[in-house]
Amino acid sequence: MTVQKRNNVQVAGSGARTLMFAHGFGCDQNMWRLMAPAYEARFKTIRFDLVGSGGSDLKAYDPKKYDSLHGYADDIIEIIDEFADGPVIFIGHSVSATIGMLAAIKAPERFGPQVMVGPSPCYINDGDYMGGFSRPDIDGLLETMDRNYLGWSSNMAPAIMGAPDQPELGVELTNSFCRTDPDIARHFARVTFLSDHRADVPKMPHPALILQCSDDLIAPQTVGRFLHQHMPESVLTVIDNVGHCPHLSAPSASARAMDDFFVQMGL
Amino acid sequence: MPDDAAPIDLFEHAACGLLLTDVSGNILRCNATLRAWLGYTGEDLAARRFPDLLTIGARVFHQTHLIPLLNMQESVAEVALDVRHRDGHTLPMLVNIARRRHGGEVLQEVAMMIVADRHKYEQELLKTRAELRDANERLSGADRAKDEFLATLAHELRNPLAPMHNVLQILAALKLPEPRVEWCLNILERQVGQMTHLVDDLLEISRIAEGKVVLRRESCELRAIVQAAVEAARPLIEAAGHSFSMTVTETPVWLDADPTRLIQVLQNLLNNAAKYTPQGGKIELIAGWEDSLAVIRIRDNGMGIAPHYLTRIFEKFSQVESARDRAQGGLGIGLALVRGLVELHGGTVQALSEGLGHGSEFVVRLPAFQKIQKAAPLAAAAGLERPRKILVVDDNVDIVESIAMLLEMRGHDVQTACDGETAIAQARGFGPEVVLLDIGLPDMDGYAVARAMRGEPWGKTLLLVAVTGWGQRQDKAAAAEAGFDHHLTKPLSLADLTRILG
Repeated sequence: MTVQKRNNVQVAGSGARTLMFAHGFGCDQNMWRLMAPAYEARFKTIRFDLVGSGGSDLKAYDPKKYDSLHGYADDIIEIIDEFADGPVIFIGHSVSATIGMLAAIKAPERFGPQVMVGPSPCYINDGDYMGGFSRPDIDGLLETMDRNYLGWSSNMAPAIMGAPDQPELGVELTNSFCRTDPDIARHFARVTFLSDHRADVPKMPHPALILQCSDDLIAPQTVGRFLHQHMPESVLTVIDNVGHCPHLSAPSASARAMDDFFVQMGL
Repeated sequence: MPDDAAPIDLFEHAACGLLLTDVSGNILRCNATLRAWLGYTGEDLAARRFPDLLTIGARVFHQTHLIPLLNMQESVAEVALDVRHRDGHTLPMLVNIARRRHGGEVLQEVAMMIVADRHKYEQELLKTRAELRDANERLSGADRAKDEFLATLAHELRNPLAPMHNVLQILAALKLPEPRVEWCLNILERQVGQMTHLVDDLLEISRIAEGKVVLRRESCELRAIVQAAVEAARPLIEAAGHSFSMTVTETPVWLDADPTRLIQVLQNLLNNAAKYTPQGGKIELIAGWEDSLAVIRIRDNGMGIAPHYLTRIFEKFSQVESARDRAQGGLGIGLALVRGLVELHGGTVQALSEGLGHGSEFVVRLPAFQKIQKAAPLAAAAGLERPRKILVVDDNVDIVESIAMLLEMRGHDVQTACDGETAIAQARGFGPEVVLLDIGLPDMDGYAVARAMRGEPWGKTLLLVAVTGWGQRQDKAAAAEAGFDHHLTKPLSLADLTRILG
């Protein structure tokens, strides 16, 4: 099986440098479609789906390999080997920010500066560290997911995809966006929300922009500050946004913060 | 019926909860229905945000799944979320959200419905699914255990058959003058043959189920395979007085296949045709090239198959086959084996019949190509070999002695040993040219014996033959590594020995 098919890798744009966009938990590379095109004039761009999400090859989902975020980090290094020329500027949302950090620690030569959108190295509260969640909260998430994926196994498009006002969108989105096998989604949720990579944060080998939302349930400001404090060459930018997806709800503010960072990095 | 022009307070007292929020989720309006359901007054709710109404788990789902969807497609429908009542208890709800322009601003319209009963039903459904999954896992575990048991059983049954078969060959060669002996021998030979056949099928089917059958693929021509199968099935067809016709396409059709297995498949189907067709019937074989596939059709005008059995007939231990077989003595695995072997080749097999009494047709389709390839020779012809010094080593005394006697009758000088130490010691004095060596010996394994023999001055040119009960690839690899020249699977047949010694 090819890396292209496994991760549904899509390459666009042109430029001397490569931007790689990685989606977070719950969705797929479509998350970037409001932002990525703006960079295609200056950069070569790579978008892809994490195995188990979107248009990736679900048959490639090996529960053992993907039982930790390292499995995904290894995939990213393989995608870079095949599709990028030189080190990539990695832009990871949510859990993919952590995955990108792990990949950069494993293979620093393949990466340049990184952009971490709504990152969190650990979602569960632990002593003084306030990740934002307790174990029962995560069980509640798993339960909600189970209920909303009820229709999957009977091959019905999951009800959550319904777009009654825009049937023309509905077809495309029903088939691609946020859809995945419920068992995989459940496992991915568990791996994501129970991961703890706080110890890896100081090992980040490159400068990183921490793009923190002012009001984010998934990655609260305390987490952004923790990361900034422990990551050697990090820049913390807080943008005024409610929610966890600034690249969707505040794309221009997100792009401005990224552009400023790129200028600082001389890109 | 109210007057069309009169304002109806449908928003406030709708039969579902209604909310109006901005895109960040700040609640702008909330209807009385929802306030009542959640135990709030209007003022309370207007100061809150939609996610605040949800349990934490539902909030995470809202953030990670619903917000992206809303941003991308402007609406979500039928989302199940747990909503918190003011006093803390949760209400299962179904939620629709649509973004729409109100004046200059995009707002979110939210409709919510309590689905307590439905939620219970869903819980039941999820529980049942989990139970079903457990039950399926237990069943497939039991199925695996059964396959393992059958493989072990067949393997164990094979061992006593080998010496029985050898002894029969010896008795036949002695040509005893008493005429009733020949009659007895014929019966014994047939029955031992039948039993070997059943045990082989059983072993084979369980190994296919366990994924242990490895095809020895080579380029082979369809005509050669068909002819070999017909030769093998001919005695049964002729004994039943059937007329047989065969048509094979003129243009060569090449297969990347295991010839032995394909011959086995076709022979099995031909034997079936002979068995299930009344005396003096008609059997026809047509082999050719259709839609880029090699297609072999075997037709008979025999007892036929009832329509509802046509697909089930290929199931392992299918009652259909068992019923058909019962009269003929069988386990109901012949066709399952056929299907297993054909599928291992990437092909399909299909049964056709107009119904009981109307004959049947079995169609085998296999990936093939018509490009000319160099043919690999099929099994070498048997012949009498030159006399040699042979050491036979096996811990089963009956096997050792019967093989020894068979070989002696063919003019060889034979010695025997039942364990590794003895075998090595004996070989030193005897200086054998050939050693037939069982791998599972009581004191040391056959590989160690082989390595020891190869280390001896007389061992360099020795023809070393490994004999094991399991013809698996890893065994063969281990055998080659230990210095064996050949590898044979029990029970040893005279044909195998002749081929190696020839």
